[in-house]
Amino acid sequence: MSFAIETQSLCRRFGDRLVVDQISLHVPRRAIYGFLGRNGAGKTTTLKILLGLLRADHGRALVDGIDVAVERRAAARRVGALLEAHGFYVNLSGEANLDLTRRLLGCPATEVARVLALVELGAHARRRVADYSLGMRQRLGLARALLGAPPVLVLDEPTNGLDPEGMADMRRFLRELPERTGVTVLLSSHLLGEIEHVATHVGILSQGRLVMEGGLAELKAGLTAEIRVQADDPARAAKVARAHGFTIDAADDGLTVRLAPGEDPREGSAALNRALCAAGVAVHALHPELPSLERLYRAVSQSPAAVEATP
Amino acid sequence: MNTLATALLVEHRKLRRSLALLLAASVPLLIAVFLFFNLLRGHQARPWQQDMQMGAAIWAFFMLPMGVTALTVLVAQVEHVPRSWDHLRALPVPRWHFFLAKAAWVLGIVALMSAGVLAGSAAALYLAGRIEPAVAPQGPLDMGYCVLLYGRMYLSAFLLVAVQLWLALRYASFVPALAAGIGGTFFAVVASSAKVGVVLPWQVPINLLASDPLRARIALLWGCLGGVAALALMLVHLAHREVR
Repeated sequence: MSFAIETQSLCRRFGDRLVVDQISLHVPRRAIYGFLGRNGAGKTTTLKILLGLLRADHGRALVDGIDVAVERRAAARRVGALLEAHGFYVNLSGEANLDLTRRLLGCPATEVARVLALVELGAHARRRVADYSLGMRQRLGLARALLGAPPVLVLDEPTNGLDPEGMADMRRFLRELPERTGVTVLLSSHLLGEIEHVATHVGILSQGRLVMEGGLAELKAGLTAEIRVQADDPARAAKVARAHGFTIDAADDGLTVRLAPGEDPREGSAALNRALCAAGVAVHALHPELPSLERLYRAVSQSPAAVEATP
Repeated sequence: MNTLATALLVEHRKLRRSLALLLAASVPLLIAVFLFFNLLRGHQARPWQQDMQMGAAIWAFFMLPMGVTALTVLVAQVEHVPRSWDHLRALPVPRWHFFLAKAAWVLGIVALMSAGVLAGSAAALYLAGRIEPAVAPQGPLDMGYCVLLYGRMYLSAFLLVAVQLWLALRYASFVPALAAGIGGTFFAVVASSAKVGVVLPWQVPINLLASDPLRARIALLWGCLGGVAALALMLVHLAHREVR
């Protein structure tokens, strides 16, 4: 299987610090790949290696099958990037900024209008970038990344600094992007919710190592659902639940009942509720919790061993 | 070559809205204004060549190194301020084209400034002479000699341009380039006759006015050839340099 983006045992060291440690990414074509990790986990360094801005000490980075270290310019033609530092000339209009990049890419003049329409910024194209809001600058950055219709987009923290409405707009736009343009998106973020809403695949980075990678749905399917229970007598509630075959984790504020993988949490909640009520336990609350990216992230953050699903 | 031409055009578009042209115009204007009033306050007429050499000396001594310092900082800050290097360096364009385009524009603007100083000096002296005929420059104006002198000064300033542009592009802060430019010009002023001055980038152009023809020739060769070599090294260094 060929990937839109692939890295093989990528390493990069800054002084004594190993920032990227044996990272092997596999981003399938037309995927929205959420690249997650804390600030300083090595996400931006990995992206910079993919864009040819930094050299890897070891390993390979391939964009659309092209080795970035060997053919940087050929690889760069296949990728559009939105970096944390936008690099806009604020004294020029949005349209003029795009036109500078368009000329350097050798695209036809009609490209500017096309990408402005894609990000719904056509009405503000003639305004100086200095007068743009942060959300508009992010959209202009996306438009610039889309110039020349590259098959791969690399977006570094695209929702940074956006207000909730701007974040929702960006999520909607990113979700629709592969279908509208056929592009593959590699999206870095430290915001789990943001990735969970848009990503089809995830890679989780911790201390420079890729500790989990795979399709989001498959990874979540491997997790069990949980039910948080609050009752008047937690000890008795736990005893009753165990007697009915549930697995129990004690928590400070009640019990956590762990269901079997694939078990429907709605049916589990109803069965548990019936058993507790029949035993005379007063139930204050039952919170079914579906498998989430946050739980995946917690699981791999606590245990650094890699969990991998087939992409 | 096509991408180099595009890089030159793109650089022009970025500079068009900057204050580079104002800077380029202000230097000849300041020298012309000084020469105009200086002639009016004089008591006796001098030959054209002597008056014109005063303009050339002010240019080579102080305004050229300071003007180049300011111009190179401005051209570099166009990219440093919006942090646009990552964007540019990620494009499928040979990176050295961006730096060569900047060097070409700086050299072009310095050429315009040189021409402006020459024309502005002649015009200011002529005007002052018309207002106060008693101090009007005397004898013929040897424009060929003046053009040759300014042309040589321009060529000898390649090393100054290369050093200042290299520093300005290398450091995101304008302070190192500005400090080097101010420091170099300061020593050019306070130690103008120092032997070592003939090789110091900020002092090379003034040596074109040296009474010793050998010193002037060394300054021209060193400034021009050393400048071309330094520009080539700058392109190699900046194009291969990692920016974290």
